[in-house]
Amino acid sequence: MQHPKDRSRLSRRQLLRGAAGSAIGLSAAGLLAGCENTTEPIGAEGGGLSGPASKLVVQKPLGPGGLPLPRPDNAVTWAITDDNPPIKDGLAVEKGPLNVYNYANYIDPATVKRFQKKFGASVKFATYDSSDEAVAKLAAGSVAFDVVIGLAGTNICNLIAQTLLQPLNHSYLPNLSKNIWPELQDPFYDRGSRYTVPYVVWMDGIGWRNDKVRQDIAGMDVPWDIFWHSQPYRGKVGVLNDKRDGLSMPMQRDAMHTGIRPDLNTEDPAIISKAGDELNELDGICNVKVTITDFQTLPEGKTVLHHAWSGDLLAGAFYYMPKGVSPDVLSFWGPDENGVVQNDFFCIGRAAKNPVLAHEFLNFFLEERNAYSNFVDYNGYVPPQNNIDADLLIKRGLIPRSLTSAVVRPDQFAANQELLQLSVEGERHWDDAWSKFTAG
Amino acid sequence: MGSRWTWRLVALPGVAWLAVFFLVAFYAIVCVAFGNQDTLSQPVPFWNPLDWNVGYVLEVLRNFWHGEQYLTVSIRTIEFVAIAIALCLLVGYPVAYYTARHAGRWKGLLLVLLILPFWINYLMRMLAWINLLAPDGWGTRMLHDIGIERAFISLNLLSARGGWLDGQPSAVIIAFVYGYVPFLILPLVVALDRIDQRQIDAARDLGASPFSAFMRVTLPLSKVGILAGCVLVALPMFGDYYTPDLVSASTKTNLIGNQIDQFTRQGSQKVTGAVLTLILSLFLLLLMFYYLRTTRAAGKVAGEE
Repeated sequence: MQHPKDRSRLSRRQLLRGAAGSAIGLSAAGLLAGCENTTEPIGAEGGGLSGPASKLVVQKPLGPGGLPLPRPDNAVTWAITDDNPPIKDGLAVEKGPLNVYNYANYIDPATVKRFQKKFGASVKFATYDSSDEAVAKLAAGSVAFDVVIGLAGTNICNLIAQTLLQPLNHSYLPNLSKNIWPELQDPFYDRGSRYTVPYVVWMDGIGWRNDKVRQDIAGMDVPWDIFWHSQPYRGKVGVLNDKRDGLSMPMQRDAMHTGIRPDLNTEDPAIISKAGDELNELDGICNVKVTITDFQTLPEGKTVLHHAWSGDLLAGAFYYMPKGVSPDVLSFWGPDENGVVQNDFFCIGRAAKNPVLAHEFLNFFLEERNAYSNFVDYNGYVPPQNNIDADLLIKRGLIPRSLTSAVVRPDQFAANQELLQLSVEGERHWDDAWSKFTAG
Repeated sequence: MGSRWTWRLVALPGVAWLAVFFLVAFYAIVCVAFGNQDTLSQPVPFWNPLDWNVGYVLEVLRNFWHGEQYLTVSIRTIEFVAIAIALCLLVGYPVAYYTARHAGRWKGLLLVLLILPFWINYLMRMLAWINLLAPDGWGTRMLHDIGIERAFISLNLLSARGGWLDGQPSAVIIAFVYGYVPFLILPLVVALDRIDQRQIDAARDLGASPFSAFMRVTLPLSKVGILAGCVLVALPMFGDYYTPDLVSASTKTNLIGNQIDQFTRQGSQKVTGAVLTLILSLFLLLLMFYYLRTTRAAGKVAGEE
């Protein structure tokens, strides 16, 4: 309510405000009308074949920075450039401290301590939550990381395009050829292992509580179907909270039904959104949860059936069993072919201050004894070592027989598919389908 | 003259703080939303409004217009927050009323008890609930014993016995109420405390029953406190994504904050995330304007005495 005396003054002010408002509105409309209207990323036009020959080839989507996207049928050798050479042979080891960049809780502190003792150098850790965050921080370059752990094929082009890595000198890494699976000696995404060496591998599968879920999931024709028949476990069923793992699950299920090998790195929006629609059905079937806490909720019984990373089940069996519950209640099944496998890298940062010590760190963790202790004493994710397999772990009483298939085998690794970097456009299709699914 | 400048000087740090941490940050979000991304999926903000690109904004608006996922989560968010605020008022008003007007010498102690939950981090309090509401948790057992569980099941607010953490909208709303109700009570206590007892006495002298005195005097006079409390709890609730994540993680409780979190922190669509943030901010700005207008009007009414 205005006082009568105020009226003239206020009305003038209101008038002015109204005028200003409409002026802003008009100019905004004017501005927007003249604006660019695109969702095509900057710099996406360049690259690829040019000239008359380009008409003769079906163009493949290009990766970040216009780089080719590595695929099993399109192996890539990353160049070693003059301005970013590997270190020379036979250099003295620096005294550190070694800066390591890693996911939280993803390497065994006790094994790291042994490394420190052996080389008389301290190791400092910084952690990240997502690979996107890690790449962004590496690109910002505020910290010169010596060793980067945990990035994978989904990031490889980003790392190379921004020259965030230093090429490796294999004379410091004798354990690579000695201990690591032949499948990962010369991978298609980095021929000659010029910039990456494998840290651990895992696969996507199904984790369940065999005391609560009665079906013989591993014995089903298409084990993935269990999620679409999970009404009895309503509210206690989960899908991995990751767009690539999550959406590729129904793709694998379809592939098992049709027998047609899927492309889990597809950029076809129709295939991607179909996968999203199939996941959506789970809302009504089991009120599906979308989480990555299965390593804890399965042992605790808060979930009984979960789309899972193989390492989650092993970590769960190693550490998260509540008092009085035997790890025997945990089961895991992973596909022999056409499923998801992944390989996390060890890399050396381009601006490493201790490159020799960094090579020694890699070689130390490629040593069987250290890879083993890091795996069974802490990490739960399998190092791709020739002499570490499920039989060994069962024989030593470390894991129950029900978790045999949570230890990825080399043949499984070869017949399944790694999730790899997509083009920006492809990435958007996956993000959009995932957003539609998670929105319920 | 001198004192006016002194006060301006005193206000300067606050203004500078707001300018840097609110206006500049907000402008950055606007420029990302009206920007583009590069082939590394990194956002490229367009700082000059003349360069702005409306492609991503239009894409999101089209999604809303066609009733796709952003509309779904927005409507759900408004529903959840509205119900949670109503429950907060239902629980908080009597507490605030008692504390302000009837607690007598216990008022100070009660106020301390009301502030006590702030001593513990919000996430910690939510994590505690996860264990309390687990199928074999104490909270679940208690809710079962006093019949609340059965009531919820019969009202279709809970799908099964002991299923509080099975992705229930009701659990998310209860967690919201639990987590935010102290923020609503405190401004209410202040507003109710400031009401002149003589006005209520006057109403009673003029023949109003206690109920009608409350409805016609106390309640209108506490309107500013109610609104302030509602705004205080609504703002964080609208952006909250970790509460639904912790107590439910179901797709049926996915809120606008979860979508923004997914696009900016987990995903690689930072521009789309910025557009959603912008739309949420504009919506909250509208609510803030309504609040400011109402309190100003109320202040004028009070000034007329």
